[in-house]
Amino acid sequence: MTEHSKPPRAVLAPFMMGHHFGVPFHNGLQRRIILKALGRLERAERSGDIYDLPITWAQARREGIAIERSLGLRH
Amino acid sequence: MTETSRQLRPGLWGTINERYPGSMITKADLVPLARLRRPVSQSRLTFVSSAGVQPKGTLPFDVVHPVGDYSFRRVPSDSKPSELEIHQIKYPTVGANRDLNVIFPIERLRELAEEGAIGPLTPNFFSFIGYNMDPERLERTLAEDIAEAVVQDGAEAVLLAPA
Repeated sequence: MTEHSKPPRAVLAPFMMGHHFGVPFHNGLQRRIILKALGRLERAERSGDIYDLPITWAQARREGIAIERSLGLRH
Repeated sequence: MTETSRQLRPGLWGTINERYPGSMITKADLVPLARLRRPVSQSRLTFVSSAGVQPKGTLPFDVVHPVGDYSFRRVPSDSKPSELEIHQIKYPTVGANRDLNVIFPIERLRELAEEGAIGPLTPNFFSFIGYNMDPERLERTLAEDIAEAVVQDGAEAVLLAPA
């Protein structure tokens, strides 16, 4: 979709629809994604820049589950 | 454009465009890169989302209209998640129902602004729903309306997020 609509800059989060800033209660990941996206405003050198986030959905979910356990939200 | 291996769901664009001809956006050319006038940490930031997030009590998006809803809602950037709700049925809200920040990171943006990691926020963020079947109308009306509202709110940088 992103390649078709050709935005000048984009960050590609390889996550489930509806979860482009990560997983619930993973504040650190949510912040990283925001900062990475805004960083492209300063660092993208050419239009069409698409940056792939170096994290998988499985990894994000694993980290999110661990955080939920630490918060007592999941057994 | 060819379907490349970096696509998470190869063939999806073509499948939808075949079923709903003309519904998918295709741009022939890239938009010229606009440079920031000031660093991100000094630029007034707004957030625009297609997540269908809106303040409770505002007119719900028309999620079942056959050609889509081409309106948008202002979401005060100091809103608490408990003051907001989602009116969109076209994406999984399983995460957002537990923590709205996974799709509309209003608390994270506020924290980052308070810390000075990013610039100040505009008074409002902006939200609409995707799955509109007429991309030309969307570009001509909704996109222009939001762009005008974003400028009125004093934004110097915009974070756009699909749902």
